[in-house]
Amino acid sequence: MAAVAVHQFAQSITCHAWSPDQTMVALCPNNNEVHIYKFIKDRWEKLHVLYKHDQIISGIDWSIRSNKIVTVSHDRNSYVWNQEASEWVPTLVILRLNRAALCVQWSPKENKFAVGSGAKTVCVCYYEQENNWWVSKLIRKKHNSSVTGVAWHPNNILLATTSTDGKCRVFSTFIKGVDPRDSGAGSSNELKFGEQIAQLDLSFTWAFGVKWSPSGNTLAYAGHNSMIYFIEDVESSPSAQTVAFRDLPLRDVLFVSERMLIGVGFDYNPMVFAADETGLWSFVKFLDEKKTTQSSSKYGSQFSEAFGKLYGQSKQGASNDTVEPSRPRGGAHENCITCIVPLRKGGETVVKRFSTSGLDGKLVIWELDNYIDLLQ
Amino acid sequence: MANTLRLYLTCIRNTLEAAMCLQNFPCQEVERHNKPEVELKTSPELLLNPVLICRNEAEKCLIETSINSIRISMKVKQADELENILAKKFLRFLSMRAEAFQVLRRKPVQGYDISFLITNYHCEDMHKHKLIDFIVQFMEDIDKEISELKLSVNTRGRLVATEFLKQFI
Repeated sequence: MAAVAVHQFAQSITCHAWSPDQTMVALCPNNNEVHIYKFIKDRWEKLHVLYKHDQIISGIDWSIRSNKIVTVSHDRNSYVWNQEASEWVPTLVILRLNRAALCVQWSPKENKFAVGSGAKTVCVCYYEQENNWWVSKLIRKKHNSSVTGVAWHPNNILLATTSTDGKCRVFSTFIKGVDPRDSGAGSSNELKFGEQIAQLDLSFTWAFGVKWSPSGNTLAYAGHNSMIYFIEDVESSPSAQTVAFRDLPLRDVLFVSERMLIGVGFDYNPMVFAADETGLWSFVKFLDEKKTTQSSSKYGSQFSEAFGKLYGQSKQGASNDTVEPSRPRGGAHENCITCIVPLRKGGETVVKRFSTSGLDGKLVIWELDNYIDLLQ
Repeated sequence: MANTLRLYLTCIRNTLEAAMCLQNFPCQEVERHNKPEVELKTSPELLLNPVLICRNEAEKCLIETSINSIRISMKVKQADELENILAKKFLRFLSMRAEAFQVLRRKPVQGYDISFLITNYHCEDMHKHKLIDFIVQFMEDIDKEISELKLSVNTRGRLVATEFLKQFI
């Protein structure tokens, strides 16, 4: 239940994604490139640089079965990268957006992907064989502000979105000719594309990081007012739970099982939320143990002060005993964590390992070894 | 240091800790642009409620937050004419060198003496706690600086006057 590997890849990382076998990681070092690293012998080596976008890349997703990478960027474009021999070949996606694309996710069956954008729209893209490109269908005029997050329901039809207007919405994305009629999605099959199934108006401020639980029964998203929202049975009879916590807001969440969720965000430290037998969600603990034993922290602060004196104090602001200067927190991350990705071994429903990346440029791999341990 | 100043600065520090949760956010109005929303104010949903922290009538601090930027404006204590002119000249001197400070705004917000503009890019490059330390340290030092300036002006004035009046003895 701790960080098992920490690696500094860049000055800051906007997002990352893992290859299907989890030996390679694709990440954006806060610019217009995607770097693909592979762990060879005991160190990470840069294998490829995907260079096609001309503004910062805001989302990367690597499909598990078809081994394709989709990237979206603030330059309004999206590319699907396919590995041919040793090269990654981009295919343009006709997004038809006139503002930045903000987030992307492959659908569970990997025949579609969804892109959230600053144009207050969501694009659902699918491949068109005859033209050899990805075309998009837009969900328009449903959002009142930028779409900050998209999440696919396991049935490949429902799509949940969060937006900076504070709402979380669920749409049907049934596309004729792409989705089979009897895709086992029950009632959602009869809905046509872009139909809004639910609108959750729980947050008073921006909403981020929407996710479905592995079975698709529970939906969770975070608000910028340090709250997290859990909604059960969104399709039939939604019931919502709100959990407020005392720390800084979350940016992204991840269900590790049906009853446990990890949230990451501005607090630099992943938070664990869990539901008890009655289904009541609550905050459990921070994942990163804080190294704050009395003696060691004192030693650490003296040491860092001495260090500060050595390296240009003017830039750091001289410490003064009148107002206690804030201290670094001493966790694995030193800046906002923006991305959390599961590391799933084939067919597992429970996530035991996951990775986080943040604006401090670190990629941290966490391992949950013991669930009982977590709940204590 | 007076105890009220400590409370004032602690309040500002805590507010900044909570408010400085910034992220990269492209402009919703203009294609391929990325601007501090707190300056543009084109989309009201991207702004949070501004916080005004007052120590007294003359000393206050306004913290305006948006999704990708935060603006901190402050009014410095000016007890008399001399302090007024000293504060004006000193803060103008700093504002003219805004580039060197990175987070300093070139012009203060209307009604305030000096403003800082912190964007998500600053938060990516610098440690958040150091940034907050810098702002609080700045507020702490500015009063000291101005009273020191005032003292030296007075001392110099007295010296000059003494020297000048010597010739009449």
